[in-house]
Amino acid sequence: MECKEYKIEFTLNGKPVSIATNPLRRLIDVLRDDFGCLGVKEGCSEGECGACSILMNGRVVTPCLIPVGAANGQDIMTIEGIKETEKGSIIVQAFADGGAVQCGFCIPGMVIAAYYLLSRNPNPTEDEIRLGISGNICRCTGYDLIVESIKLAAKRGGEIWKR
Amino acid sequence: MEEMMCYIPKTLEEALEIKSRHDVIVLAGGSDLMVSNKRTLGLAPKFDKPVMIVRNLPELRGIYINEEGECCIGAGCTSAQIAESTLCPWHLRQAASRMGAVALRNSATIAGNIANASPKGDTPGPLYMLDARVKLSSVSGSREILVSDFIVKFRTIDLRPDEMITEVIVPLSEDDFDYVFWHKVGTRKANAISKITLSQAIKFNADGTVKDYRVAATATGAKTNRSRDVESIIIGKRLSPELIEDVIKGFDDVISPRAMPEFRREATRRMIRRFLNVADTHPEGKVIDTYDGYYVVGQPEPRVL
Repeated sequence: MECKEYKIEFTLNGKPVSIATNPLRRLIDVLRDDFGCLGVKEGCSEGECGACSILMNGRVVTPCLIPVGAANGQDIMTIEGIKETEKGSIIVQAFADGGAVQCGFCIPGMVIAAYYLLSRNPNPTEDEIRLGISGNICRCTGYDLIVESIKLAAKRGGEIWKR
Repeated sequence: MEEMMCYIPKTLEEALEIKSRHDVIVLAGGSDLMVSNKRTLGLAPKFDKPVMIVRNLPELRGIYINEEGECCIGAGCTSAQIAESTLCPWHLRQAASRMGAVALRNSATIAGNIANASPKGDTPGPLYMLDARVKLSSVSGSREILVSDFIVKFRTIDLRPDEMITEVIVPLSEDDFDYVFWHKVGTRKANAISKITLSQAIKFNADGTVKDYRVAATATGAKTNRSRDVESIIIGKRLSPELIEDVIKGFDDVISPRAMPEFRREATRRMIRRFLNVADTHPEGKVIDTYDGYYVVGQPEPRVL
């Protein structure tokens, strides 16, 4: 038996949105199919790979594990919103300049993980950076250039990360 | 086509009211239920009963110390919240800080980890060891039972249809012991399901005899293992190599690992032996573990972002 439709409202990248849908649909599907946030990548579908990472109320989460009903009334930021922010654009630029990207599939999740890490710890050690991206799997890079790029973003952002 | 209901209560009172009238599955973090009920890509997960989503109930998100000095953790507290909270007991913070990875720890809840009743769950080990209780609430009141009684057996919990876990109460902390030990054996640092996790704690009397000793093992049987009979072998006595071997032998008879049993047994034996041997030398500091060099004696902070 399928679940009934309900009206779900939340804030998406700073704008209030609403949708009538089955509240058990995965947030990842709603973000991609109904709101066109195609930067939210689906990798493992079970919360292990981090490709679909988003921020929910400022905390990094994987929307493949979250029913859209649990997003009701909450604040959601995807890569589409993060990259437009000052902090987000610093990370995106650092990833480009640092050669962090190969196939690119894991990168939206990596940027969100880096954003979450640097917002909480503006000056992380290499070990702390590796812990910060430990839930994001990359099969191309071997992680080293991603780690270097996050160091670059920390340096370039400087005081901005403390705001 | 007949459709199923879904409930998204705004308050705990509303949630308990719904629970009293309907047979529902309570979904908080979703990290177990959304995976076990998932279908193919693009299709909504399908549950065999109506779902009640309680992820954002503010009443379930607090951590405080009650008048008896016990740590009370709201059922909806996430692993990240617990790992970050200095109010929470050390063993529990360690377990929470090594569960899944960053994003998962921001979703997975303590009540979910208990109710899932998996022998590989990360929090039951510390909770068994510290005599933690769950508070089960319904419209007609509440009751408290030990987590070790609440988890009846594999995937089975002692919960009435009208009840919900609302709080986890932990009476003891590392302050009640002289030395503590927590070690997770996993294949990776992140996203690792426990191969074995051992939680231990010991307190000595002034005369050097053992006042209290506890040991609990995760992933070594159908249920988290703890045995008061084994622990009592050394209570009231001075540690000796023979007594330590008696504890190891006793605990070996308690556990019943299914996959890779010899590896799990030997690792458990070694971890008990290491902890008791080191504790017996009464070193400076409190934490006895050398996990990847992260935790050294005397530095009990878990790694959090």
